[in-house]
Amino acid sequence: MVLEEQIPQFAAWIGPALLRYAAAASVSLLVAAILAWLAQAIAHGPLAAGDRVYRGLLAGLGDLSLPSPRRVWALARLAIQESLRRNVLVVLALFALLILFAGWFLDPASVHPGRLYIGFILSATNLLVCLVTLVLAVFSLPADIKSRTIQTVTTKPVRTSEIVLGRILGFAAVGTCLLALMGLAGWAFVVRSVSHGHTLEADDIFEVADGEGSPAGAEGRTSLDRGHRHRVTLEAGGSGIAETAQGHRHEVTVSGTTAAGEKTFSVGPASGLLEARRPLRGTLRFLDREGRPTAKGISVGAEWAYRQYIEGGSAATAIWTFEGVSPGDFPDGLPLEMIVRVFRTYKGDIEEGIHGTVQVRNPTTGLRGESLPIVAREFTIDSLLIPRRINTVLANGELQEVDLFAELVSDGRIEVWLQCLEPAQYYGVAQADFYLRAGDGSFALNYAKSCVGIWFCMLLVTALGVMFSTFLSGPVALLATIATLMIGQFREFIARLFESQVTGDATIVPGGGPIESLYRIVTQTSITMELDQTPAVLAMKLVDTILLAPMRVAAGIFPSLSSLGTSDFVAGGFDIPADLLAAHACETLGYVLAFFVAGVFCLKAREVAS
Amino acid sequence: MIQEAEKASQPAPRSEAGDVVVETRNLSKVYRDFWGRSKKIALKPLDLDIRRGEIFGLLGPNGAGKTTTLKLLLGLIFPTSGEALVFGRPATDVSKNERIGYLPEESYLYKFLDAEETLDFYGRLFGMSPEERQRRAEALIEMVGLSRDRKRQLREYSKGMTRRIGVAQALINDPELVILDEPTSGLDPIGSREMKDLIIDLKSRGKTVIMCSHLLADVEDVCDRIAVLHQGELKELGRVEELLRVTGVTQIRATGLSAAATAEVRAVLERHGAADIDIGNPRSTLEDLFLEVVRDTESRPGRRARRPAGAPDATRAG
Ligand SMILES: Nc1ncnc2c1ncn2[C@@H]1O[C@H](COP(=O)(O)OP(=O)(O)OP(=O)(O)O)[C@@H](O)[C@H]1O
Ligand SMILES: [Mg+2]
Repeated sequence: MVLEEQIPQFAAWIGPALLRYAAAASVSLLVAAILAWLAQAIAHGPLAAGDRVYRGLLAGLGDLSLPSPRRVWALARLAIQESLRRNVLVVLALFALLILFAGWFLDPASVHPGRLYIGFILSATNLLVCLVTLVLAVFSLPADIKSRTIQTVTTKPVRTSEIVLGRILGFAAVGTCLLALMGLAGWAFVVRSVSHGHTLEADDIFEVADGEGSPAGAEGRTSLDRGHRHRVTLEAGGSGIAETAQGHRHEVTVSGTTAAGEKTFSVGPASGLLEARRPLRGTLRFLDREGRPTAKGISVGAEWAYRQYIEGGSAATAIWTFEGVSPGDFPDGLPLEMIVRVFRTYKGDIEEGIHGTVQVRNPTTGLRGESLPIVAREFTIDSLLIPRRINTVLANGELQEVDLFAELVSDGRIEVWLQCLEPAQYYGVAQADFYLRAGDGSFALNYAKSCVGIWFCMLLVTALGVMFSTFLSGPVALLATIATLMIGQFREFIARLFESQVTGDATIVPGGGPIESLYRIVTQTSITMELDQTPAVLAMKLVDTILLAPMRVAAGIFPSLSSLGTSDFVAGGFDIPADLLAAHACETLGYVLAFFVAGVFCLKAREVAS
Repeated sequence: MIQEAEKASQPAPRSEAGDVVVETRNLSKVYRDFWGRSKKIALKPLDLDIRRGEIFGLLGPNGAGKTTTLKLLLGLIFPTSGEALVFGRPATDVSKNERIGYLPEESYLYKFLDAEETLDFYGRLFGMSPEERQRRAEALIEMVGLSRDRKRQLREYSKGMTRRIGVAQALINDPELVILDEPTSGLDPIGSREMKDLIIDLKSRGKTVIMCSHLLADVEDVCDRIAVLHQGELKELGRVEELLRVTGVTQIRATGLSAAATAEVRAVLERHGAADIDIGNPRSTLEDLFLEVVRDTESRPGRRARRPAGAPDATRAG
């Protein structure tokens, strides 16, 4: 799983986040007030405009205070009825169809079928639920205004805030039901699709003997099911495991003997397919090939600098420092799990992985444990248990067995050093790639948590759609919502682009802003080529900067749906941290509140009857 | 902002003391387009007082500004200048709606609801309890004669049926002020008869009714006072009888007059130089009045079309 940023502690996150929210809210309010004043000033002159804006503000605030739950519920109920009568449930049939297709085109023989299925189901659910509520939300109020049914409602003692809130809640309720049904169906689909068994025939097994010739067990392979089979190693007694393939393994037990005296085996259900690991993550630093500290590893020219590379056969090292390691949490030693990418400068034996070592060190005393060999296989998570009793290398080169926690952990901190042994081959790692498996959560719960993430997205989209529909017609509101979400989606890119534009540093984002890009496309100039600083080019860059400025502001406040998504966690087999979920909940609430208030003001300022 | 909590029970300021339910001061409306350019002057400054317990009729040709006036009273649109007070509160204050029932020009109702659901929904908006909603809905459906169609979605309703459910919807909260925009449009003769009976019944229960209509006979039958609008301007205002009184004509009414006596009376009148003696119906019809106003204004535009001799400026007269 790719984790670009560290997941912050909720307690540490919420304070600055609230501050930023308050700042953004007050700036937006101010800008909105100024815009309203300008619009009024054209029609009524500056003084009257000020008075109108002030009174509008007061009226809006009064409107916001304490909506009546009864009326909000009545309006929400109406929204639900409207959705049902618009046959919104058809989308469930669509989802069922998608699932049927998924069973057909998703390859069960892929490296990680579980990941594939979960990823597909969650993104399909997310897309459908958000799309349905978006369409409902965006077209409802404009239709009401157009058909003038709104007049019959607003001539009842109904406040604008209740109309907006009722809409948001009603459509969110519809979305919630859809999500619940799709979530359950998707869950059943995932569990059914990945669960499978194998058979193990006596014919496929051959005895192995140890060095002295006495029987030491057996090896063999299971039947081919769902596009894969497992290597089996059995103990002398007969039971054993089917080794990891496609990210999971099975228990093998002897189930009996046939009349001919041959053993029969039964292969248990897959384990390790649907997991929710709870990682303890560390921080990463590097040593270069001479062993000197360096800020970064080597970039192998990947377009995206998520993973850094270390060179094999040199002193280049990737070092993780883990904190808060205690014997209470890890009584049996440290269960280290690793994803190590490989960059080969020559092909070598493609079947074999690339060899390297892992070593633990005491960050304070520098005492190091003996090097443990690893073999980096791509795309799988390797695990390595660093035992409680471990050999350390003394200054004179001798080995001494010590207790891990007594000698190698200081103040709960321990370092893990990774080196690649094969010259001219590279290991690629990112900070999130090494972690200690601190425990496991329930996969079902994790799936549910991911559905909650989808729910946040749905809520946000609904509120945004309703907000736009208070002052735009249906199709325009739909476009506006999508545009907003797009800007939110690319907010980091826009921020970097703007930075690049303002500083003139083309290395941040090469190619320049919209007009410059267009110019480059038309003139077929590569994006890395510097343009001559002619006045025309300078003017073009200036216009770009001016165009980008409002987008940059928008990127700073618009929501990003993908940042609320947590399906990567579930698909990757990681537990969704509660802190992250809490932060997402607050973020969603903040946005929904802002959209609600904005919607109320817009609808209030509008003559719904004209 | 006046909170709802203090709603009906609390005596409102000034106007209610004088039992004035609706009051407009210089109320005018100019419709503007998106760019704020003036598109249509729909209502020129209007002053009106409507008292508790009266049936007030707004008359005028199509596009005269009747609906605009009603919408201004309801706060559905905002005045360009002046103000409208309803129960002594600004028209934009939603809490006044607790005591108002409104039947729009066409019944703007949700087509996907059936009659019961419709009334239930609007009942909820008044915060009524489930039992009360049930009871009111039952009674109103019965009253407007939709008992047999109560479970049908409104999309299947005919125009008159929609009108009926619209009336029921307007009365769900037992309002003190009922605003009806063309209540009889689309109704069959029996329906419009019932509608008129209903309006008179509302009056007898002390409610105030404001209605506008083209059907002059309807207005004549039920209204206490009328205002005639033309091109956004107030042309006539006053009690129906006064407006329709034909000056210069004397009506003599008697019972038990024999043919001989009638002839004698006629002879006496002739002796006094009376002409056009007609012992019969002395009233002109509202229709005449209406046509006269419209024709008059068209030929010479001015503030007032026809001012009855001797009558003071009737604008503020009751
Ligand atoms: N939303 C609007 N935008 C622009 N002009 C409008 C709007 N609504 C009404 N008007 C104009 O205002 C004038 C008065 O309209 P109004 O609906 O009040 O007439 P009315 O007296 O109710 O007519 P009718 O008897 O046909 O119902 C008309 O000229 C109309 O074209
Ligand atoms: Mg009208």
